[in-house]
Amino acid sequence: MNTFRKMLKIEGKLSIRDMNMVIFAIIMPVVVLIILGVIYGNKPAFNGAQYTFLEQSFGAVSTIAICAGGLMGLPIMISEYRERKILKRFQVTPISPGILLFVHLVIYILYSLVSVVILWIVAKLAWKVQIRGSLFTFLVGWSLVLLSMFSIGMLVGGVAKNSKSASIIASLLYFPMLVFSGATLPYEVMPVPMQKVVDFMPLTQGIKVLKAATLGIEVESTFIPVIVMVIIATVCIACSIQYFRWE
Amino acid sequence: MEEVVNVRQLSKSYGTKIAVNNLNLTVKKGMVLGLLGANGAGKSTSIECILGTKKANSGKVSILGMNAITQRKQLFQKVSVQFQESNYQREIKVNELCEETASLYKESMDWHKLLKEFHILDKEKSLVKDLSGGERQRLFIVLALIGNPQIVFLDELTTGLDVKARREVWLTLENLKKNGLTIVLTSHFMDEVEALCDVICILNKGNTVFYGTVEEAIKASPYDKFEDAYLWYADEEGK
Repeated sequence: MNTFRKMLKIEGKLSIRDMNMVIFAIIMPVVVLIILGVIYGNKPAFNGAQYTFLEQSFGAVSTIAICAGGLMGLPIMISEYRERKILKRFQVTPISPGILLFVHLVIYILYSLVSVVILWIVAKLAWKVQIRGSLFTFLVGWSLVLLSMFSIGMLVGGVAKNSKSASIIASLLYFPMLVFSGATLPYEVMPVPMQKVVDFMPLTQGIKVLKAATLGIEVESTFIPVIVMVIIATVCIACSIQYFRWE
Repeated sequence: MEEVVNVRQLSKSYGTKIAVNNLNLTVKKGMVLGLLGANGAGKSTSIECILGTKKANSGKVSILGMNAITQRKQLFQKVSVQFQESNYQREIKVNELCEETASLYKESMDWHKLLKEFHILDKEKSLVKDLSGGERQRLFIVLALIGNPQIVFLDELTTGLDVKARREVWLTLENLKKNGLTIVLTSHFMDEVEALCDVICILNKGNTVFYGTVEEAIKASPYDKFEDAYLWYADEEGK
């Protein structure tokens, strides 16, 4: 436990010193929220809607940090630690290199949590955003998005040849999902054919759950997204356990 | 003297390429063993098979009476390893690397004291990557000692250092040896090996071509300088 705490402290410091996650997981989501807030303010999502446009987007924005950590941070960190033989160094200590990965998972979860809390405070204070549905469903949905995104990142980091290819794969996953799944560009403003395409992205499915929870829409519509995310998480976790390369 | 490392008939191949062939080693307590050979002779592979980070195809290895794969956690409380090449986090500082390393062991040494002993305490707050080559290697020795080990494995610790820095590292190793630490090292520098090693093992394409003391190595060769003798053993054209 002592080992874990010390490692969390030091690896956490390193992560903050690196600044990438601070920018992409903490600052960027707030900037996106503020931009949406300034543009749409308290306007309803559509004529006659019971909720505002910003409330409709809140769930999506709350996943930006998860994507930054899971799709960019995690795979790049794993491949870099492998390439620099840091994971290997831990193999010849009394601690398993798995603990080091676990420490980083916790760090990325913390970034995601800090981000969602800040977003919530800003959204509530500036634009009176509220969760009209179930907070519990929101948390479950958010956790599932986290689980599925992190499992994808773990798999990419675990099997990528080197840090260069990991960062290319990470970019290929991160940017399209971020832009097209509704996390930055709202799903509702996309033309219907495009919505059909982006529905294939697991993040789009996850955001649907969060949206249902924030807006209080029927939970029935969240069944498929939940199944999709659980399947993705299971497959990716199983594959990364099977194929993970420590060196 | 007590045997602390025992390697019997260790072999390892990658596909059809034989990397280590029938390696036998014994290291007694307080001894310094040098594993020598040209690049690609199988030194690093041998060390990794001994430590269990690579799986040997056959053979038996015991370190302090333990198996490096099944008793990993207990074993590495007492054995520390510095692999060749840098393996620290990019933006980490000296004190952070020391603190993190110390947190891995049940009984760790006071790393401030070690840094002082190795004359790098003033670099405590520097980034590891900003240290000079000699400072960094001394830091790696500090890291190897933090867990208060009984045996250390050092893979090419002095490669890339200038003559002065190399001397500093040896002096330190000599002191550690005097204090009874068992050391297994690989090196490319024969002056260093002559000064430090009680026993040497020369590898050539995975085969052990010599195993014994430096004096014995010279005696069994047609030369009277160790470096010449080493080249004669290590160089296949020489035979």
